[in-house]
Amino acid sequence: MAKVLVVAEIKKGNIKSSTTELLSKAKSLGAEAATVAIGADVGALAPELANAGSDTQYILEDAGMAFFSAGPYASAVVDAAKQFEADLIWFGFSESGKAMAPRVAAQLDAACATEITDIDLSGKHVEVIRPAITNKVMQRVKVNTPKLVAVVRAGAFEADTGITGSENVVKLAAPEADLKAVIEELVSEASGEIDLADADVVVSVGRGAKDQAGIDLVRELANDLNAGFGSSRAMVDGGFMAHNKQVGQTGKIVAPTLYIAIGISGAIQHLAGMNGSKVILAVNKDPEAPIFNVADYGIVGDLFEVVPLLREEIAKQKRKR
Amino acid sequence: MKILVTAKKVVDVELTMHVQDGAIVQDGMQYVINAWDESAVEAAVQLKESHGAETTLVSVGGGDNSDMIRRCYAMGIEQGIHIEDPALAKADSSIYARVLQKVYEKGDYDLILTGKQAQDTDSGQTGIILAEYLGLPCVSNVVGIDVVDDQHIQVSRSGDSGTEIVSLELPAVVNVDVSINEPRLPQMRGIMMAKKKKIDVMDLAGLGTSADAVNSASPKSEVLEFMPTETRKGGQKFEGDAAEITAKVVELLANEAKAL
Repeated sequence: MAKVLVVAEIKKGNIKSSTTELLSKAKSLGAEAATVAIGADVGALAPELANAGSDTQYILEDAGMAFFSAGPYASAVVDAAKQFEADLIWFGFSESGKAMAPRVAAQLDAACATEITDIDLSGKHVEVIRPAITNKVMQRVKVNTPKLVAVVRAGAFEADTGITGSENVVKLAAPEADLKAVIEELVSEASGEIDLADADVVVSVGRGAKDQAGIDLVRELANDLNAGFGSSRAMVDGGFMAHNKQVGQTGKIVAPTLYIAIGISGAIQHLAGMNGSKVILAVNKDPEAPIFNVADYGIVGDLFEVVPLLREEIAKQKRKR
Repeated sequence: MKILVTAKKVVDVELTMHVQDGAIVQDGMQYVINAWDESAVEAAVQLKESHGAETTLVSVGGGDNSDMIRRCYAMGIEQGIHIEDPALAKADSSIYARVLQKVYEKGDYDLILTGKQAQDTDSGQTGIILAEYLGLPCVSNVVGIDVVDDQHIQVSRSGDSGTEIVSLELPAVVNVDVSINEPRLPQMRGIMMAKKKKIDVMDLAGLGTSADAVNSASPKSEVLEFMPTETRKGGQKFEGDAAEITAKVVELLANEAKAL
């Protein structure tokens, strides 16, 4: 039986959906699943982690771990992996996951695969599927090492609410702080704004909105839907939207239930950032815009005309309930 | 300050790709410098201009990289090393990292700058694994670099909860994101000068190492085949009267897609 260690993704005291999804996948593969949770205040999450499918909860709770620091966090994961004798170590798709995974792999002399969309444990070697060349192709990769560290694409695995585990807490000793890489400050993203990576609905604005007036118009739509408000690279480069709003290969990768692209042409780097969305709606003046090749529903039209209509129609739908 | 900056030659991702019989069709492929490494090169040149840093570029594999390396010279890089060896044909991130380790150990560098990922593999591992092998502090996804003094830099990293400001003791490895800068276009004078500049091309033996020393026969993973990306199914596109089609689409979103 394979042993999977899932590195819990915790934000503001909440366990993110990736953790549950990864645990569900582990259990569906017939593997034994454990979690490792690291932070200043994570001990209380053990029951919830057990509920989500973890049979052993490695907990590193220490004031020194309040802020993410790749070195010490990776050390804690390696500690848990060794204690659990994990074959597979999985991270959710986050900046911290991407920073930790190669370190953990190097320390365990294991292969590392990033953004995997599937995994096959049935053969003599573990195989994973992952995208390459800016998501233009997929690759099937053979793992040659006994252990594999993987970062899983957002939304690649489904959460199974029927899965459950058992509470079995193992406390980890705090690793040494990284004295050569010291986090001085965390400049938080504007509070009150919905985190794109967590949002169920994301509305993104592109070059078609032209300027601040257009941006404000689209933001109204996002507000109506209680959605995360994102951007294509064009509007970030143009100085209209902050960099942390950029959806795309060089920005945030999102996989919400509904992604609404307004005035976005659909450059491959942008598509790489939202291709995993469940449902995509696109509005663009150009019927040939590449975004229509991936949108489930496309409206060819002027966003300045369509967005107010969308808001109206959506309000009508809400009233129907 | 002595900077070692990496550059990988990669396929131009803007091109249409074909997957045939599990492989990517090679005809008509164009190669460019990995966009993330280009930003690393720009960052190195900026540090040269602001702090008098000495810059050395290293590229591993890729066949004839002279165009790419000369472009970096034209941007302002002073020295270029290209490691090419048949033993590296199946190199994975850990093998590249071993080779880069050997290059680093032959010099006297204070800072290693790399792009955070390569646009062909999108792996994002080599720079971090290199730091592990060298036992150096490392920060990834860096969007800003400030020199504090000869021994310290401060970087801004785009993290999950916001921007992290991290102080690093040199020598260190910094993996940059493209948002850190806009790489300059080489100017005619730089291009002309670059044509005459020497590139240090060597194989593993020339580097003072060997296939065994970099474990090149044992990649930790290998690509078995390429497949086309699954295209999304469905896709209804509506043209016509804005009010009508918008009403139709919202109705579909609510009742067909159950997304509202």
